[in-house]
Amino acid sequence: MPQDYPLIVVNDVDYSYLNGTVALKKINLKIFKGELVGIMGKNGAGKTTLIRTFNGLIRPTNGNIYINAENIKSKTTGTLSQKVGIIFQNPQHQVFSNTVEEEIKYSLKSLNLSKSETQFKTDEILKKFNLDKYRERSPLNLSGGETKKLAVASIFCRDPEILIFDEPTLGQDAKEISFFIELINSEMKKGKTIIIVTHNIEFAMEYIPRTVLMADGKIVADGPTKKIITHEFLVTKSALVLPQISQFNLALNKIGIACPDTIYSKNTMIEFLADYIRNKSKVVSGENN
Amino acid sequence: MSLEFLNAFKFQKKNTFVHNLDPRAKLLFSIVYSISALMFTEIVPLFIIFLTLIPMILLGKMVKEWIRSIRGLSFLVIMIIVLNTFFISLGYAIAMIIRISIMITAFSIFFLTVHPNDLALSLISMKVPYPYAFSFSLAFRFVPTIANEAQNIMDAQQSRGYEMKTSGLINQIKNLFPLLVPLIICSIKRAFNVAEALESRAFGSFKDRTYYYIIEYKFKDWLFTIYLICFFIITIYVRIHFSFMPEWFAWEMGV
Repeated sequence: MPQDYPLIVVNDVDYSYLNGTVALKKINLKIFKGELVGIMGKNGAGKTTLIRTFNGLIRPTNGNIYINAENIKSKTTGTLSQKVGIIFQNPQHQVFSNTVEEEIKYSLKSLNLSKSETQFKTDEILKKFNLDKYRERSPLNLSGGETKKLAVASIFCRDPEILIFDEPTLGQDAKEISFFIELINSEMKKGKTIIIVTHNIEFAMEYIPRTVLMADGKIVADGPTKKIITHEFLVTKSALVLPQISQFNLALNKIGIACPDTIYSKNTMIEFLADYIRNKSKVVSGENN
Repeated sequence: MSLEFLNAFKFQKKNTFVHNLDPRAKLLFSIVYSISALMFTEIVPLFIIFLTLIPMILLGKMVKEWIRSIRGLSFLVIMIIVLNTFFISLGYAIAMIIRISIMITAFSIFFLTVHPNDLALSLISMKVPYPYAFSFSLAFRFVPTIANEAQNIMDAQQSRGYEMKTSGLINQIKNLFPLLVPLIICSIKRAFNVAEALESRAFGSFKDRTYYYIIEYKFKDWLFTIYLICFFIITIYVRIHFSFMPEWFAWEMGV
């Protein structure tokens, strides 16, 4: 459960790239401890730029970022990466070791653990991610899904307080997505704060309670996911597509079936339609009698 | 460390005198200026050569991009100052900085103003076989993409505790592996993908091919070439007769 304590505070943050592109404009955001937050928006909206400021990969042109009430301005990326772990879109960007086991050990290297502790943590994480059987295999020979798992595992083994995923469902099959969802749930139970950058609106609708919607480097909406991503204007502005359930809802309203816009799940929609058909058949049978 | 400075070498479409020049004339310009810079180790002649580049930057409306390319190489400049001052002299270090600035500026002007397609066309007109000309222009086009990829790899590694700065030469070499291995693998994969995409679009199925755009050497290109030839002749003359030049020409810093 999220606590009242804001873990990440973003204060009037601007960021411009060297080529003059303004990627972030006056961003103000609070993310609470234990929260699961989604960041959505069209390509180039500033989502990835924003998350890269959280562990100091890029420094804001203006404004401040506080993590655990500490301004991160003077902190190095090395220090910040112990608190904030970012799992990037392309897992191929980080694998380089000879074996899967060494890949995990490399992530643990900067934590200054003893040899036995490093081995223990490596074994534990490999088991957790079902990568134990590939321990001696080259990470370059793993499948796309397994490489992604390895990339996630190499951040998880560092046990950061804040976990940030950039497009975690991209190119993943159903089994891999459900493994990822289980993983998020178990981390949430441990009180971790999770931020997910995604374009997958159905995934966000089902699993992410709060969404920050970005467009042209600004936050255009921040609130309950279900309200934001079923809002036709906001969704169109962010070049997203309404969830299928909302599209179905609109279609029903167009043909004269007054469907309430508070229906967000398949089950509620089925219940609504069942009630509607039941009532309609009662009216028809009444008319016939 | 940011590799964003490599974008300063990326073609930008503008309608200026420099942009509209023939790519072959601009290639000649970069070569002439680079050779001229290599001919001198004295501050004054190098500085004069450097000054003659400024009108090109202004005419091409690329002051910002040029500053960015020079700023991005500040690390190299510091290295040159430190090593040359330590082993030779400060005056020599400054001369070397001007020399490298001339070469970077000349090639930066070339890359910023020549579209990769025009580069291929100009190579073809110089009788370079099409597959080689195309590969060269493709490699040139991929420089910013690879720079971008290198930045992403750096970010991914830093997110799991990779430290850019380590002490000791061996450690610094070792430290390059987490960056170089993924970069090489990703580049090889991209090369295979591009090759497959090209083959699926019938690349090389006909030996002779026609071109939609044809580049032409116009009057202004000839004028520019004549200027370059004159400039080069003067530079060579000055180099050969350097001892007959006024005293101030061979001025050296007394440090």
